[in-house]
Amino acid sequence: MSDEPRGASSDPEADPTHPEAYVLNMGPQHPSMHGVLRLKLHMIGEEIVVAEPVIGYAHRAHEKMAENRNYLMFLPNSSRIDYLSGMIYNIGYCQAVEKLLEIEVPERAQYIRVIACELNRIASHLLWIGTYVLDIGGVTPFLYCWDDREQILDLLDAITGSRLTYSYGRFGGVTMDVDDAFLTGTRTFLERMKSRLPEYDTLVRKNVIFIERSRGVGIMDRQTCRAYGVTGPCLRAAGVAYDVRKSEPYGIYDRFDFAVPTESAGDCLARYDVRIREIEESLKIVTQAVRDLPAGPIMPDKPKKKFKPAEGASYFAVEAARGAFGMYLVSDGSEVPFKLKLRTPSFSNLSSMPKVLAGTMVADTIAIVGSLDIVLPEIDR
Amino acid sequence: METPTRTGRLGRFFTGFGSLFHGLAVTSRHFGRTIFLRKNVTQQYPHEKPTLPKAYRSAIRLIRFPETDSHDCVGCKACERICPSACIAVDGGKVEGIKKKRASHFEMDFALCSLCGLCLDVCPTTTLEYSRLYDEAGYNRNWKHDLLAEFRAREPAFIAEQRQREQAEAEAKAQKAPKKEKPPKEGDAP
Ligand code: SF4
Ligand code: SF4
Repeated sequence: MSDEPRGASSDPEADPTHPEAYVLNMGPQHPSMHGVLRLKLHMIGEEIVVAEPVIGYAHRAHEKMAENRNYLMFLPNSSRIDYLSGMIYNIGYCQAVEKLLEIEVPERAQYIRVIACELNRIASHLLWIGTYVLDIGGVTPFLYCWDDREQILDLLDAITGSRLTYSYGRFGGVTMDVDDAFLTGTRTFLERMKSRLPEYDTLVRKNVIFIERSRGVGIMDRQTCRAYGVTGPCLRAAGVAYDVRKSEPYGIYDRFDFAVPTESAGDCLARYDVRIREIEESLKIVTQAVRDLPAGPIMPDKPKKKFKPAEGASYFAVEAARGAFGMYLVSDGSEVPFKLKLRTPSFSNLSSMPKVLAGTMVADTIAIVGSLDIVLPEIDR
Repeated sequence: METPTRTGRLGRFFTGFGSLFHGLAVTSRHFGRTIFLRKNVTQQYPHEKPTLPKAYRSAIRLIRFPETDSHDCVGCKACERICPSACIAVDGGKVEGIKKKRASHFEMDFALCSLCGLCLDVCPTTTLEYSRLYDEAGYNRNWKHDLLAEFRAREPAFIAEQRQREQAEAEAKAQKAPKKEKPPKEGDAP
């Protein structure tokens, strides 16, 4: 049971009678904790012996809500699971239901979905870079990231009418067509972002303080990742090239030419590098999608009004900004899902924390937990 | 971390110092750009009103169709049933003198609406749209709005006009009927 966190009873080091042993509560209202996470740290001096994440402060019972309403009515919930990459969750839910009901999605809608999702992914990663660097002491990059992210939010606002909780997808398509202004805006943004990345490189990646605080910190090796089901940039930073978009392509992702960036170190710095390179890859995907965007309808000619899948179950996963987001939909043949299980990436990523945090210094806690890019409402659901 | 050698320490000092200046160069460039080139992006609300995007979503309202100068809600309750937040309460039915059904009551709780747009999608007469409100505030939990309020005054006139329209339609249908042609559909929403 070496994978288990070192328990207080089994480990002499966690001995509560140790003269320097104490328990430190971090969060849920800690200023640098992301969202409402509470970390219960059993420490001896500065060293963490056992770390216990306590979650559930933002529980909204999304899974239970899904069982009480028909398939359509869950749509507004879907982007509220993870509000930072809500588009991916929203579209992902639509795709899961489309898979269950075998609904065809028109070409144009497919491309629009990819553009919107990838822009959302970039926005989410930018937010992470900003807040992460802020967490470990750099204020300026935060402002630049926010500036760039704002451009994306404006773009998405123009087509969805909302900045975070998009509710943009519908079963079979999307609610609104993109216009030329949006496409021009996207192209301008792509150009702008390409010139911004080298700046982030100088400002953050080459900064000695940043490197010192993140290199070799919070190492999560392949084995740990496998054991806890860690996915997304954290897994790729440990050297496993697993990306749902490549491994089990959904939608039209198999048509685009992009790479799955990996690093081998598995530390905080590697996670930063992976995310930056993912932004580059997402930019590539958006460029291709904007270039190839076909004309045509954005919803099927005769959209279904009643959604009543046959009895059965289906699993569908998408690559969200934080890892693999899976939906297990069980239908009992009625208009209401029998069960919707949401497999959210941050939950698995956070569950590795007791293992990773054990033995580290308390000063690194924020650097490590922050580098996971967790979103608490998505963990609690 | 192992203790670096003396030269190593010196090297780290210089790279560290260098990286600070590189970062500073980036920030000064931005500082210059912001000071000299950039337009003000701050909107001086409330002196300046925001320009809302076309897709802007705010609490729903009933569309006033120019052909009839009124809404087209038939009180079918489809929106009430689909609304995930259960914030719509509609009632309606037959009205004396005309064939068309009309809504008699349309209450909507702005505070509960999650702006998902499902009601817009299911409405059979497409008479719902997002309003352009952005600075509304509720003062209590029951922030109910009567969406029919602005249509009430015109309702008798609408019914009279509708009766005429239906009569004209029936006559046209009677004329066309021997030729077995489809009757023209009356002013449906675009
Ligand atoms: S937009 Fe959604 S929440 Fe609001 S009234 Fe319509 S269905 Fe209900
Ligand atoms: S769905 Fe449309 S027509 Fe039916 S009650 Fe609602 S607004 Fe009226």
